[in-house]
Amino acid sequence: MSKTFDRYASLLFFVLGAAFMIESQRISHSSYGSNVGPNVFPFLLGLILGLLSIKLFIETLKYEAHNKGKEKLDYKSFVIILAASVLYAFLLEPLGYVLSTFLFLAVGFQTMERGRIVKTLIISALFSAGVYILFAEILKGTLPGLPVWLG
Amino acid sequence: MSAIQFLTEGFQTALQPHNLLFAFVGVLIGTAVGVLPGIGPMSGVALLIPVTASMTGGMDPAAAATSSIILLAGVYYGAMYGGSTTSILLNTPGESSSVVTTLDGYQMAKQGRAGSALAIAAIGSFFAGIVSLVALALLAEPLSEVALKFGPAEYFSLMLLGLAAVSGLAGNSMTKAWMMTVFGLMLSTIGMDVVSGVSRFTYDIASLYGGLEFLTVAVGVFALGEVFKTILHKENNEGDLAKVGRIFPTKQDFKESSGPIVRGSLLGFFVGVLPGAGATLASFFSYIMEKKLSKNPEKFGKGAIAGVAAPESANNGASGGAMIPLLTLGIPGSGTTAILMGALIMYNIQPGPLLFEDHPDVAWGLIASMFIGNLMLLILNMPLVKVFAKIIETPAKYLLPLIVAISIFGVYAVQVNTFDLFLLIGCGIAGYFLASNDFPLAPLVLGLVLGPMIENNMRRALTSSNGDFLVFIQKPVSLIFIVIAVLWILVPVLLKLRGKQVIINEEA
Repeated sequence: MSKTFDRYASLLFFVLGAAFMIESQRISHSSYGSNVGPNVFPFLLGLILGLLSIKLFIETLKYEAHNKGKEKLDYKSFVIILAASVLYAFLLEPLGYVLSTFLFLAVGFQTMERGRIVKTLIISALFSAGVYILFAEILKGTLPGLPVWLG
Repeated sequence: MSAIQFLTEGFQTALQPHNLLFAFVGVLIGTAVGVLPGIGPMSGVALLIPVTASMTGGMDPAAAATSSIILLAGVYYGAMYGGSTTSILLNTPGESSSVVTTLDGYQMAKQGRAGSALAIAAIGSFFAGIVSLVALALLAEPLSEVALKFGPAEYFSLMLLGLAAVSGLAGNSMTKAWMMTVFGLMLSTIGMDVVSGVSRFTYDIASLYGGLEFLTVAVGVFALGEVFKTILHKENNEGDLAKVGRIFPTKQDFKESSGPIVRGSLLGFFVGVLPGAGATLASFFSYIMEKKLSKNPEKFGKGAIAGVAAPESANNGASGGAMIPLLTLGIPGSGTTAILMGALIMYNIQPGPLLFEDHPDVAWGLIASMFIGNLMLLILNMPLVKVFAKIIETPAKYLLPLIVAISIFGVYAVQVNTFDLFLLIGCGIAGYFLASNDFPLAPLVLGLVLGPMIENNMRRALTSSNGDFLVFIQKPVSLIFIVIAVLWILVPVLLKLRGKQVIINEEA
């Protein structure tokens, strides 16, 4: 439990709650035959979230910060996997499912543990091609195929 | 007896070859999910929704929903079973509901009785499955008939009670749990309002008009969040795998564990029915109860077979019990049942009292399939325990990128747009940071699923009362629900103030 995180989170959620309250006022109030329009529920939720955020902020003032000996986090692998996932999402449609999945898995496996290139390539290829054949060819689902320029 | 007749029809549905196959695949994957560290029942079920959606693509909606829910429920209780395997063999629980099992299970494994422990866990789970099946069949009809008499005000208060129960028991900080619940409800208001057709919080972004897809958020916060956590913390499961040894339990084992199994199943079932109290609490309670009842409590923690039998029966009983509020009232009491409910809604089938009238085949088919699934688990697990134990050795380096790839595939296969993929990754990051700072995620998903129903019932109740909020406490049934909800929140707070330890449900 991190005190700083809780503080920032309470601030963030407070702003979010306030924004919900303000923005819900811009939603049309009218609803046929009822005086309870689509704006009421979001407004109440925003209000409650705002109040809860204040409560959390007050709680952070009370408890002692106890750092349980900073754990060493593996940021490098995380950033690479995250970046690879975002790229994967971007390239899924232009590159097609098989190619983009193959690339993502190859990068992912190598990030987790260097070496064994052949095994990496085989598993990546089997998974990406296998899922595509099973889902798109046999079950007739929608997945982007190979890019046009590959024929 | 109409229940028996319906149950027979349910069995006819569940015994159709393709549904048998679905139940089989479900429990098989469920066991694997339970064994694998890093994928819990929640992410397992969420990940499989898109897969089942495409597998059932060609069937008519009701049949497709039945088959899917049979598979997904199979994953749910299969995972409850699989979780015990790692607890016993590795001393690392695969699921939080099997934490207690490690106490005696691993000790038994060290004494070379791992096989008996695993077998008793399987038998206990099976018995619990039967108990919850019978109770479900008996309680489902009367409960849904009562629920049918509820008006919007009663429904609103009942759902409030459900949220209060889940938020009150989830995580260390109730404030944080409530914040997550409200945040989930807020997310559910994004998109087109179904009553008035007005778009809310969409800011002309076309992808937002349909609202945030529940599946994307669930897979993101649970599956991806868990992957990110494992990568960052470099969690390794390196331990000595105990030998399985002789599988069939001895007569003495049976004698010692039959009582705990029966009591654990019943207790687990009733704990499971309560919203918010899930399998983890059930296993915990039953362990404590057995220790109290036992003639020689000093044996607990040193390899008492009752200490394996009771919690393992209880957590399976609880997963059956959790189906009751979901099916009869349409109110999920836990994260996993919220995801099951989301899956049913995707098929346009609304769980709740009308389910038994409108889609008896879905409801009774599921109940019957739980019986068959439990039987399959028993048959599968006795001889295959050694095979499943091997799954634990799947290296994380292959598993983690594959989970990401399966998540992306699953979301894309159902949504067919890239916006949801980015939302998925965003939810994964948010899920990691929230979970690692004690913000529980199950209330968030619960809020997201229940949001539209809560809002509709609130508005309908308020419309008939001309906007008077007092309507919720003027109707007696509604008042009772609200009073229970308030008590549910206040009692733990008061207990804490008096310095008592309050048990919380870590499971989500």
